[in-house]
Amino acid sequence: MKTFEEKWTAWLDGQLSGRELSEFEASLPDRATAEAEKAGARKLGALLKRELGASLLTNEEFFSHQVRERIRENTAPSAEREAKGSAWWTIPRLLWTGTASLAVFLIFTILVMRDKNPAEESQYLTQILNARVDPVVSPNATVSMFEVKQDRVTVLWTEGLQSLPADYAAK
Amino acid sequence: MARSLAFLIPFVSLIAVAPCTLQGAETVWSGLVIADNVARPQPIPPELTRIEGPLKKFFGYNQFQVIGQSQKTLNTGQEDWLATSKFFGLHVDAQGEGAAGYVLNLKLYKEKELLLETDAKLSKRSPLVIKGPQVGSGQLLLVLVIQ
Repeated sequence: MKTFEEKWTAWLDGQLSGRELSEFEASLPDRATAEAEKAGARKLGALLKRELGASLLTNEEFFSHQVRERIRENTAPSAEREAKGSAWWTIPRLLWTGTASLAVFLIFTILVMRDKNPAEESQYLTQILNARVDPVVSPNATVSMFEVKQDRVTVLWTEGLQSLPADYAAK
Repeated sequence: MARSLAFLIPFVSLIAVAPCTLQGAETVWSGLVIADNVARPQPIPPELTRIEGPLKKFFGYNQFQVIGQSQKTLNTGQEDWLATSKFFGLHVDAQGEGAAGYVLNLKLYKEKELLLETDAKLSKRSPLVIKGPQVGSGQLLLVLVIQ
C-alpha cells in the first residue's frame, strides 16, 4: 500500500496511470494547485538536467581520477623508489665510479710521494757516516766528504795520506 | 671504453707499484782503481762508465784502470767480501739493509797495514768514491757501485 507521498512523487514524475491515476487525482484537495506544482517540478527537473548534467559527469570523472591516483600513489611509490635507486647503479656507472676513485687515489698518491721526495732526497745519496785514518801511518791526514747531487755521487776525500811508489799500482 | 679503462688503470698502477715492493738480491761492485794522466788513455772500464764524467771532473785524470775488484751479490745484507790487488786490499762488511741501501764498513789495507776505515750507507742509486793515497804519479781510488 503506497502512502500519499509516494503516490504524489509518482504523480509528479508521471508514473501513475489508469485507475490509480484517476483515484489519486480525485483525492487531491486542490487540483489546480497540484497541477501547477507538477508543472513547476517538471520545469525544475528539466532545468537541472540541462544545466548540471555535464558538470555532474565531469565531477564524477574528476573524482574517479582522484581516487585512482590516490590508490596508485599508495601502492606504487615504494616500488618506484626501489626501481629508481637500483637503476642509478648500473654496471657502466659502477665501472666509471670505481675507475674514477682509483684515478683520484693514484693522483693523491703521486702528489704525496712528490712532496715527500725532496725531503728524503738525501736518503737516495750515499752517506758517509764516519771516516778515520791511522794517525801513526799518516799523522797529517785529513778526511772530508761531499755529495754531488747532480751526479748522485758521494766522495770521501782524503789529504795527506802517505804517498807510495808506482809499484803499488800493480794488479 | 669504460671497460678498457677499468682494466687499464689497475694494470698501470700495479706496474707502477711493483718496483717499489719488489726487493731482490742486488750486486755490489767494489773496485780498486788507479787514476792517472797519460798521453793515450785506455778506454774506461765498463763498471765505471756511468760515473766517468764525475771521476774526470773531480780528480782531474784521464785514465782509470781497475787493479782489483770484486762483485758480490747481497742476499741478506750481512755479507762481507774482499777486493784485492797485489798490494792493496779493500774489505767490505755489509751490516744491514735499509730502505735506501746498505750500511757498509770499509777498510783499506796496504798489505796488512790499515790505511783508512769508514762507515757508509751505500745507496742503490748513488756510487761511492774514496780518494786513497798517491801512487806514483797517479791516485788510488776506491769505487763502490750497486749494479
